[in-house]
Amino acid sequence: MKFLLYLLLALVVVPFQTTLLHYFSVFGVRPDLGLVAACLVGFLGGELDGLILGLLLGCFQDMLSAGDLWINVVTKGGGGFLAGLAGRHMAHITPAVLTAGLAIISCLSSAVFLYSMSPAGIDEVWMGVRSTVLVQASFDALVGAGLYLLFRQRWSDDRMVTEGAL
Amino acid sequence: MAISRSTYGTRRLAIVLFACLLVALFLLPSQSQRLLQYVGGPLGQILSVPLAAFSSVDHGISETWNAYLALQSVHEENRQLHRDLELLKGQNNQLRESVAATRRYETLLNFKQQSPSQTLAAQVIGRDATNWYGGMILNKGESDGVRVEMGVVTPAGVVGRIVKTNSTSSVVLLVTDPNNAIAGVVQRTRDEGIVEGTSHGRARLKYIPLLSRVQAGDRVVTSGLTGTFPRGLAIGGLTQVEKSEGDLFQSAEIEPEVDLSKLDEVLIITAPYEDADSAQKLLQEIRGDRKKP
Repeated sequence: MKFLLYLLLALVVVPFQTTLLHYFSVFGVRPDLGLVAACLVGFLGGELDGLILGLLLGCFQDMLSAGDLWINVVTKGGGGFLAGLAGRHMAHITPAVLTAGLAIISCLSSAVFLYSMSPAGIDEVWMGVRSTVLVQASFDALVGAGLYLLFRQRWSDDRMVTEGAL
Repeated sequence: MAISRSTYGTRRLAIVLFACLLVALFLLPSQSQRLLQYVGGPLGQILSVPLAAFSSVDHGISETWNAYLALQSVHEENRQLHRDLELLKGQNNQLRESVAATRRYETLLNFKQQSPSQTLAAQVIGRDATNWYGGMILNKGESDGVRVEMGVVTPAGVVGRIVKTNSTSSVVLLVTDPNNAIAGVVQRTRDEGIVEGTSHGRARLKYIPLLSRVQAGDRVVTSGLTGTFPRGLAIGGLTQVEKSEGDLFQSAEIEPEVDLSKLDEVLIITAPYEDADSAQKLLQEIRGDRKKP
């Protein structure tokens, strides 16, 4: 059931990302909704959930991207998994912690993309960091924190119930 | 959405699953790519449904926006007739949009008829899923005969080449992407080079011979040396030529001929030369040119 929910989420997020998200771009950079979704689910649901959703989203994103077929699978899957690991070691997830965590994971994910593009020199690396990595990390973190604040009540209840059960 | 935190067993499973995936990807890159491609086929079919739905919403938004802009520009001119036209305004907007679309299609059709290549018209339905690649998604895929490495153009010039396909859609890598390389020739001096994208969203002609007299303003066209594009398609104009001391070649920055941010329809070159006769004719032309002193 949960897998179907994640599949449905991926089928909505990825087409939205490719067709409509350019209306919300800042300096030509759009937030990576796939990474944000995988990380949020990872933070709040655990590493397996984050990994599964990340792999699904990555698979769909790879099909609609000009990059290699593995890159989104690895970055989104890894992002969701890392977020799950981080979430497990935190007693309370606050919006500030979530924002920082998302920014770090977004930077790591972007670093993989940057590395895969084999930049010609340090200038190109800095150019990529300034023009895309930092903007996208800020954007991802803000979108993630916004979504968390929007649904905080529901997620908090879930955490309390499941942690109590454990 | 009820999300429960995973137990120790599932965590181990997650770690093992992810480790296996990474090992497979790094140790067997080509096999894993093939596997992902194989898995991607049916997934592409599923994905095409929401993609088409979102794309139609996107087109609706852009059409409304364009109609609004068109209205703004003719507003002053039509103010006195505004009351009389009130009832016809909505219809007028739709007609304007249809005329604009018809003109675009007409231009495409003219180009298609004049071009020596076999082409297939396609609509841009989305942009690359990441911020890292200059890519666009087209609504034509393998079922329409689109294959990887086919060239994509507009009447203005080269757009890019197809790098990924599934049954209903395909991904174009734009000429301005650093991963793209197209064989080009400077129209005036006939110096050949390789056109590559830059991280600034432009393109660069590399490997121009050191003694070449290329200059800013020269136009670069496709050389036709690779199978993707026929020769003579516009790529862009040189804006700045760079020659550093000690370098074996010159390079020059290119302003692409096509405005890649405002593309609605494109043509996919399914065969660079329509038939063997035209290819033969072109070959004879080239040979004839070379025999001339």
